[in-house]
Amino acid sequence: MKIYPLLAVLCCFCSIQPLVAQQLHELIDQHIEQASPEPFAAESTDSEFLRRIYLDLIGQIPNTSETLEFLSDTATDRRSRLIDKLLEDSRYSRRMSEFFNVMLMERRGIDPDWQLFLTSSFNKNMAWDKMVQHMVSPDTSNETTRGSAYFLTKRLEKYGQNPTDFPGLARDIGRMFLGMDLACAQCHDHLFIDDYKQADFQGLFAFINNSFIRSDTDYPAIGMKPVKVRLEFNSVFEEGNFSTGPKLPGLSEIPIPEFIGGEEFAVEPNKETKAPGIPKFNPLDFLAKQLPTATNESFNLNAANRIWYLMMGRGIVHPMDLHHSDNPPSHPQLLSLMGQQLADNNYDIKWCIRQIALSRTYQRTGTITPSVANAKRHEYRVFSEKPLSAEQLMWSMLTATGQLNLIPPQTTTVGSDSTETQQEQLGESIDGIRTDFLDAYANPPREPETEFAPSVRGALFVLNGPRVLSWLPAKPGNLADLLNKQDREYADTLYLAILSRKPTLEETNYFNQYIGSHSDKTKAIEQAIWALLASNEFAINH
Amino acid sequence: MSSHQAPNPLCKPVEHTLSRRHLLGAGAAASAIGLGGLGGLVQPLVAEQMQQKEKQVLFIWIDGGMSQLESWDPKPNTHFGGPFRSIATSIPGVHISELMPKTSRIMHKLALDRGVCTFDNSHSAGVPRINRGDPKDRGVIYPYFGSAVANLMGPSDSGLPPYVWVKPGSGGFKYQDAGFLGPKYGALAIGEGEPPPNILLPESVDTQQNDDRNSLRKFANQQYSKTRPATFSEAQNFVFDTAHALMKRRSLFNEPAPKDIARYGDTPLGRDMLIGRKMLEAGVRFVKVNSYGWDTHGDNFNAHASLMPRFDQAFTAVVEDLDERGMLEHVLVIAMSEFGRTPRINGHIGRDHWPEAWSIAMTGTGIKQGAIIGETNTEGTWVTSEAHDIGHFFHTWFNALGIDSEHTEYINEGQPLPIANDDCSPIQELLA
Repeated sequence: MKIYPLLAVLCCFCSIQPLVAQQLHELIDQHIEQASPEPFAAESTDSEFLRRIYLDLIGQIPNTSETLEFLSDTATDRRSRLIDKLLEDSRYSRRMSEFFNVMLMERRGIDPDWQLFLTSSFNKNMAWDKMVQHMVSPDTSNETTRGSAYFLTKRLEKYGQNPTDFPGLARDIGRMFLGMDLACAQCHDHLFIDDYKQADFQGLFAFINNSFIRSDTDYPAIGMKPVKVRLEFNSVFEEGNFSTGPKLPGLSEIPIPEFIGGEEFAVEPNKETKAPGIPKFNPLDFLAKQLPTATNESFNLNAANRIWYLMMGRGIVHPMDLHHSDNPPSHPQLLSLMGQQLADNNYDIKWCIRQIALSRTYQRTGTITPSVANAKRHEYRVFSEKPLSAEQLMWSMLTATGQLNLIPPQTTTVGSDSTETQQEQLGESIDGIRTDFLDAYANPPREPETEFAPSVRGALFVLNGPRVLSWLPAKPGNLADLLNKQDREYADTLYLAILSRKPTLEETNYFNQYIGSHSDKTKAIEQAIWALLASNEFAINH
Repeated sequence: MSSHQAPNPLCKPVEHTLSRRHLLGAGAAASAIGLGGLGGLVQPLVAEQMQQKEKQVLFIWIDGGMSQLESWDPKPNTHFGGPFRSIATSIPGVHISELMPKTSRIMHKLALDRGVCTFDNSHSAGVPRINRGDPKDRGVIYPYFGSAVANLMGPSDSGLPPYVWVKPGSGGFKYQDAGFLGPKYGALAIGEGEPPPNILLPESVDTQQNDDRNSLRKFANQQYSKTRPATFSEAQNFVFDTAHALMKRRSLFNEPAPKDIARYGDTPLGRDMLIGRKMLEAGVRFVKVNSYGWDTHGDNFNAHASLMPRFDQAFTAVVEDLDERGMLEHVLVIAMSEFGRTPRINGHIGRDHWPEAWSIAMTGTGIKQGAIIGETNTEGTWVTSEAHDIGHFFHTWFNALGIDSEHTEYINEGQPLPIANDDCSPIQELLA
């Protein structure tokens, strides 16, 4: 009987693999913790974890009753139960649509069909490889998914006085799906990144340089002109003429079939409906077959890296679109393992998110103590702060002030006329609110939102903008109303509603004193709500 | 995407065609060499070079193309000279157009280069190219001069945003000028003299209440900072401080005094120049004042007869004001367009785009007052002196501001990038 505890202790120190396959989250912790001899931060507090997991999985802070419910839960499996609950919450697909929209479209705009594609995909937990297939080779016959074409069409729209940005589209396919920004290899082999060759860029370019936006549909749709010849290109450094057909980096070139003149089309162009012809050879079909596949390692690594970024605020390869030998992953074996497991698990995004969420690495505190004061972000020895996106700020401010209860629930996806009209009649719609928050906090189009860049614009919005200020005064059912009805313990209510935690003694005294002694209690309550909404602790996911 | 790479020491127009055609040949080789040579440069701490932190810039952008022949480089009684006469200035022997009587009296306060020779003759390519100092193509989008200065010199002690753009039309936060430096080095634009969005406290919050709520906010931030890393919080605090600095300067947007308007001119340019001066006085690092409507393909002479006096009045008033306040010692003033206008007068009595021979005026810190350099031929068609491209001017201006333009680089994602075209160098005759 006494031998068992001893064995258990021994097993902790030896590296014998247990017979049961380890879960990915355990492997994550092993890799992260073996990579650094320095100390790691302790586990997060329950309120720290609660706020973080709500923001990451459903895109908003918990409301007071959700917070109290979790903080009173003493079961040992309370965190994993909460993770599973949130993964099945209807707000999960909203959050993922918002996150992936920002990441994939980089604030180029919004489109109802694209929104439908994203939300329905995350609702059904569509596999990442299937989603990518839809994006690079959209199926126009499927009304639910065909908005995926927006990934291509929006990038082919002209903006300003710029010509149609085919190179930009080729670049973004490399960035978003392979983690390779080949822009600097457009005109010559990359000067600083030996791995990036001009032929890689041009091979990607040859998939899309004959594509165009279809004008005969009222949804985003991509057309393709018949491709007859290989793409010719020059280098600004090397003499000579080069050419390539469609080709993914590391894979072989796709031969361009020859057709007798007039026989290029499987379906001839229709002059009456203005539907363009469908060529027999469409490079995008091949892109959809070759790009999102388990044998394409870059695809797997990029997918794993981006899901890791979603949860950890930084890529294992960082920046995420510069994966090459001079910018190696911080934890190469871990990334490779995650890429492989993601492929083995049918590119199940939710599974991957769940595994990361279960890890000690994700659940570490963000509090700095002397032992982790020297921690680097890429070491994950302490949880790194992440800025809230414009959408997370919007939903969280709506939740914290209680304003969310005063807006009729948005029953359908963006773009549904009837709900919009209803909301407008009631004075405030989510779309109108979203526009204000994007104006204040979103990056300009085509700027990745991966670095924290607070702006004067955002500060002025929260200081003086009418939108948030109008949510502060008491209305039946909102936070100020609740506080007005209290005659003490204001700080508890404030902190639970806005910062999802109980206040410290110092905070309790400070805010109770401020509100309790103020000549105008109503005003003091508004001030206090505002101050916590405008605080750094609120603006950051920590 | 195209760009020229060949150095441009003498700027013969024929070479323009050549360099465009040889884009993939000799020019590219030159650029490769230039790039290789960068490895030896060290990145100095720009801040340490800034002995005088209060240096500022007033950049007057005359959009569309001011005619050099109706302004700085008149050629009266010649084939292309047009109807206007030239007048004497405060510098003996130097004449400018009769459309600039006020400027003629402060000529000794200015420096002028009449030997400007640049490339693009289209607005769409010329405006950004000139504003970026025509850097070599290194696969990145270079910042406009204002964003460059905002990045290299930072905001002044005033706490105000480093780059303010006073212009007709829309205002707001304009990130486009910043290029690869990123949106935070973009311009805060004051459109139609209107303050930026949300700059004014709403009626529901008075100053005392604003102080109160921000004390609470700062208390909350102090609590958070006790156990959290500083970086994000500091950035966040900085933007709130800047926002407050702007809010405190709401008087910058008050209706100006009638006597000031009378001196600057009751015109969009006059009013914007006045705001520009106030911004400089308030401590903004870089102020761009924008005038539109100078693209006179038709009726050039009536147009300039109408436009030039407005420029003359506003420009003279601001230079005199800055001089009177001792500010020319630390403010660099530049007045320029994206190109000049053709000597040839077209069928619509207009002048078209002419980058081959035009003029740029400047004064203020680091600039040699009274330096009138550069010459064009009798008909004003070509530069006969040593021609200066925009790259030379960027070097000159950076040096006037105390930035060693030949040994300072941006570092963009690990890529070192010269701050000014590395085939060019400062124009010493213009530097004090």
